[in-house]
Amino acid sequence: MLPRLLILSIMTCVPAFLPAMAQAQTMPQQLRVIDTPSDGGGSLTVLWASSPSDSATTKYQVLLHEAGPPQDSSAWKVVAEFPANTRYVRESKSAWWTRSGDPNDHQFVIKNGKGVELNSDQHYAVSVASVNGQERLIAPPVVASPEPNWMNWNQINNLVLALMFGAIVFYAINLAKRKEMFLRRIPGLDAVDEAIGRATELGKPVLYMTGAHDLHDPSTIAAAVILGRVAKKAASYETELLVPHREPITMAVCQEITKQAYLEAGKPDLFKDDANFFITSDQFSYTAAVDGIMLRRKPAANFFMGSYFAESLLLTETGASTGAIQIAGTDSDHQLPFFVTTCDYTLIGEELYAASAYLSKEPIQIGTLRGQDLGKAFILSVIGIGTLLATVGVLTGNGWAQPLLDLFKDLK
Amino acid sequence: MIFLRRQLPLLITMITGLVMAAQYYVPHPASEQLLTTVTKWLQIIGGFALVLGITSLFHLHAAKIRRKEAGWAYSLVLYVGMLGTIIVGLWNNGKESIDGALTSFGWVYSYTLVPLQGTMFAILAFFIASAAYRSFRARSREAAVLLVAAVIVMMGRVPLGEYILPLSGDLSSWILNVLNASVRRAILIGVSLGAVALSFKIIFGVERSYLGGGKE
Amino acid sequence: MSLAERMLRIDRRIIFLVIGLCTLVPLLFPVGLPIKISSEVRGVYDYIESLPEGSVFLLSLDFDPASKPELYPQAIAILRHAFKKNLRVVAMTLWVSGTGLADQILTQTAKEAGKENGKDYVFLGWSPGGSAVILNMGQDLYNAFPADYGGKATKGLPVLAGVQNLRDVTYAVSLGAGNPGVEAWYVFGKDKYKFELGGGCTGVIAPGLYPLLRSGQINGLIGGLRGAAEYETLIGQKGKAVAGMDAQSATHLAIIVLVAICNIFYFSLRRQQRRQGG
Repeated sequence: MLPRLLILSIMTCVPAFLPAMAQAQTMPQQLRVIDTPSDGGGSLTVLWASSPSDSATTKYQVLLHEAGPPQDSSAWKVVAEFPANTRYVRESKSAWWTRSGDPNDHQFVIKNGKGVELNSDQHYAVSVASVNGQERLIAPPVVASPEPNWMNWNQINNLVLALMFGAIVFYAINLAKRKEMFLRRIPGLDAVDEAIGRATELGKPVLYMTGAHDLHDPSTIAAAVILGRVAKKAASYETELLVPHREPITMAVCQEITKQAYLEAGKPDLFKDDANFFITSDQFSYTAAVDGIMLRRKPAANFFMGSYFAESLLLTETGASTGAIQIAGTDSDHQLPFFVTTCDYTLIGEELYAASAYLSKEPIQIGTLRGQDLGKAFILSVIGIGTLLATVGVLTGNGWAQPLLDLFKDLK
Repeated sequence: MIFLRRQLPLLITMITGLVMAAQYYVPHPASEQLLTTVTKWLQIIGGFALVLGITSLFHLHAAKIRRKEAGWAYSLVLYVGMLGTIIVGLWNNGKESIDGALTSFGWVYSYTLVPLQGTMFAILAFFIASAAYRSFRARSREAAVLLVAAVIVMMGRVPLGEYILPLSGDLSSWILNVLNASVRRAILIGVSLGAVALSFKIIFGVERSYLGGGKE
Repeated sequence: MSLAERMLRIDRRIIFLVIGLCTLVPLLFPVGLPIKISSEVRGVYDYIESLPEGSVFLLSLDFDPASKPELYPQAIAILRHAFKKNLRVVAMTLWVSGTGLADQILTQTAKEAGKENGKDYVFLGWSPGGSAVILNMGQDLYNAFPADYGGKATKGLPVLAGVQNLRDVTYAVSLGAGNPGVEAWYVFGKDKYKFELGGGCTGVIAPGLYPLLRSGQINGLIGGLRGAAEYETLIGQKGKAVAGMDAQSATHLAIIVLVAICNIFYFSLRRQQRRQGG
């Protein structure tokens, strides 16, 4: 009994003391070749099971042949060669919900380029060979053909989140139509009336700019809405309004808005067609022209609403030199420092959108703002919870949180 | 008429908006081909917008010259400059140089446009200094923090500053890479959500201000 | 009026004069202080350095003459580096008013490096549409630019051999002064067509691009004249940017001193007013 036990223990323990010799090399097993999902065609995904003999010294070769398998093994085209302990499904950059195969399986994606050309709807024979020195074992080939797909499932999380956000915005707009929503007062708005009043007292005009972008930009739309309010006040105080433009379509829209504002103020006869005028779309030509207007006409109030670029400081500093009261509102964060230092009041980023919503009291504007706030709250929560989960995952060495975090990743 | 001015543009906007939004998620070559066609259309339409801008400019200044309004001589200068540049540009096929030699169009570009634009941009340096002198005052605690950060970054971004205060380079790098990057990211998220919300509203016809005209 | 009040209301022209002198004097009498290299600029440099000979390098010069002082030295330095590495340079611009400048920059550096147009480099010129051009190039480069700036057909040019669209570009750098610029190249280019992207920009835009840099959306960022000076130092060919750093140093120091003076007088005036009020 004792000798048998002894022999058994020796047989069990000896391999542990033997140098780490490569285990007997085996042919790649469970080879599958599929059309790469969620792509435009021209790609095949090769999957095969990992083997105990996988190591840094052995290699895998991915082999390709057009039409069917070749008669002679030398006709195979070697598409890739890599160490056998690499290229696993779990290392793949695609989304976990589109991955095929066991995480411990090997995976290689054959793509067009670098001497390989795969045409959609054409058949190809694919195999994998395991190589150890001179020895090469080729797995039985599999025939497959790449196909273009109609949906990129890797981006389904992106689509769902976008649709969710859209739904939130529309829900908030509907809610705003049915009941009143609270919007905190923007301090800069009080200054608007003060500025126009000052211009009236001094008998000088009010200068209003709508920014560099066209009406596709939310900041220009917000600027146009605030122009309506400023125009209405200027009309009621009978103060001259000057609105130089950089974009002809914006000018046309602002003309209508100004006309409407004068009508609502009960002063349609005071409305001037050329209150809104087009100068040029060139950045510095426009700036030079407006600087000239500021120095000659010396407006008492300058409004800089919308998107601005390098011209912002040139405009505001010239305005400041004439002693005008200046109010700015922009979402161009790179110009904010210049506006903040040279203007009396600045509406920063979304305060501009909020100001236009506050002034217009339109449910659409207010609802959109509320929807955006809800979206931001969601993102903030995801960032907070995600950071916590990622930290716990790293500390515990566990990857259980990763699938949840991947839901918010941009994966293609 | 209302249909052509209102309903039809809204319908076109909705269909193309939804199709192009869906295109982003469809990898099929047909979808890519659609994208190529649409971008070609965009390029052509973009070219027409240029014509619209120039026409407006001509029209405006022609009216000024005709009515002999104050400053009409400058409108004449604009006409001469614009027409002259167009003629010279067409004469030289739009080329600023041929085999290294400057064409007349290139002369206009290099000796008028380049120095004029450069001059306007150069004024910024002076204006920044005068704006900073006027407004960089530590009126409050927050303003003082801003002032200190500004001084550190100004020193850290130039060799002389790093020579005087070696730590300023690393500190300014930290301010830019950590504080600045995180705040900009937050602003970017906010602005991007605004853009997405506006896109949804435009696609579904909720936002119509881009069509112009008064309220319905 | 007290001294403090007079100093706080100083004529702007005196400040302009100080800044003017601080810019002019160092340009006439340069000092040449050492320039420390930042990791942002090193990112672009190291990537270009790692590219094998013959790689396709796309440079988009998205700026106009107004931004020439900052972006022109960046363009020159990067092109010198790319030509030294024998990369195939494909240049273009998304800004119509920058076309002449871009052509001049490319011609000048290529001539220096003894490179041949069509074989070692090509200037595609400008096409209307901004980001639509990027999308178009991503689908089919020859559709977006059927001819180069000189009118030669792009299809068949040796420099564009094997290049069908943006997916075949190894590395792209956008030197941007605004929109369209680096962000447009990421959103409409790299995000869709998966090439590696680096950025260069004016000093004022640079802080806004740090989120893209930190998240790996761009692998490097050359910011303003300082970034250009760092790049010139890295390639060992000092030019306008390094020369301009002395002037920039003096100007920054002048502004710091002016701000300090302003604050001293501001607090002095506040104390005076408190004493009078108290």
